[in-house]
Amino acid sequence: MSEEELDPAIHVPARLRIMVTLASLDEGDDLSFTRLQDLIGLTPGNLITHLRKLQDAGYITTEKNGSGVTARTSVALTLGGRSALERYTAVLRELLDSASR
Amino acid sequence: MNEETGTRSAPGPDEAAGADAQGAAVMDAQSAAVIMQQAREQAGRELRVRRPVVFVTWGLVLLIGYGAMWLSVRGQQPYTGPAWETLLLAFLLVLAAAAITAQVVDRAASGVGGRSELQRTIFVLSLIGGFAALEIEKSAMTHAGASRPVTAMLGAAAPMLVAGMVFVATSAPAGGLNWPRLALGVWLLAVAAGGTWGGPVTALAVYALAGGGGVLAMAAIEPRLRRP
Repeated sequence: MSEEELDPAIHVPARLRIMVTLASLDEGDDLSFTRLQDLIGLTPGNLITHLRKLQDAGYITTEKNGSGVTARTSVALTLGGRSALERYTAVLRELLDSASR
Repeated sequence: MNEETGTRSAPGPDEAAGADAQGAAVMDAQSAAVIMQQAREQAGRELRVRRPVVFVTWGLVLLIGYGAMWLSVRGQQPYTGPAWETLLLAFLLVLAAAAITAQVVDRAASGVGGRSELQRTIFVLSLIGGFAALEIEKSAMTHAGASRPVTAMLGAAAPMLVAGMVFVATSAPAGGLNWPRLALGVWLLAVAAGGTWGGPVTALAVYALAGGGGVLAMAAIEPRLRRP
């Protein structure tokens, strides 16, 4: 098994942190863009770029509510995203186990 | 985006995080594991309500509030009810505890929407609705001629009855059974029901010690009961 088997959509530090943070929420919950940005510590532009990649992979959904100063963009992990992170974690564990043998 | 650039030479955790300033570093498995662990811990710290703080706050409210009322009615013959100073103290304690709870919850729940937000709203409305209904019930009983000790017992038991029922009813959200909430709800119901049999004076002591003590004990054991 090699690192190439790790999902490339997730296997980037920023996106991995985004996925793990969103996975820590209960199912059915979402996180506002600004709170996610606070937690991940990226610029809005960088965060948007990574979110787009994850959205293209079908791992997250984003939703914008309201307009003007009351606008709120929320980000949530999809079921597929949760499964993808579980697969990623399993592959990662196998890689680490085989490296320690 | 320059995801394909960067290093594969096993950066340390800080390096891996630092290299991510442009969100572009490629990492090895070890670094990925470290990043996952850090992100998980941070999310747990930032997004989880610090329940022990809430339990300690409300445990002290019950202990001090009911305790003060009990001291003021101890030995009363005939029973006339707690001194107004103790009722004011209890009211102020509840206000302070509500403010602390709101701050603790807001810190964790800020920016979190969806099902949890709806559950929190229902939880708060249930508590407010329950207390309001029991206060109306108490007034109706007084109006119908119920004696002061009887209405006092209902009034004293009301907070734990309502909180206990709401805790039990909301202990199984979609994510699974919330053991601390269920256990505390059952305990408060048992204390509320059992304490009433002691009469209006003893009930206050039972609520202070068993109710307040139970909530304080939950503050200590909740982290162990929490689901992973």
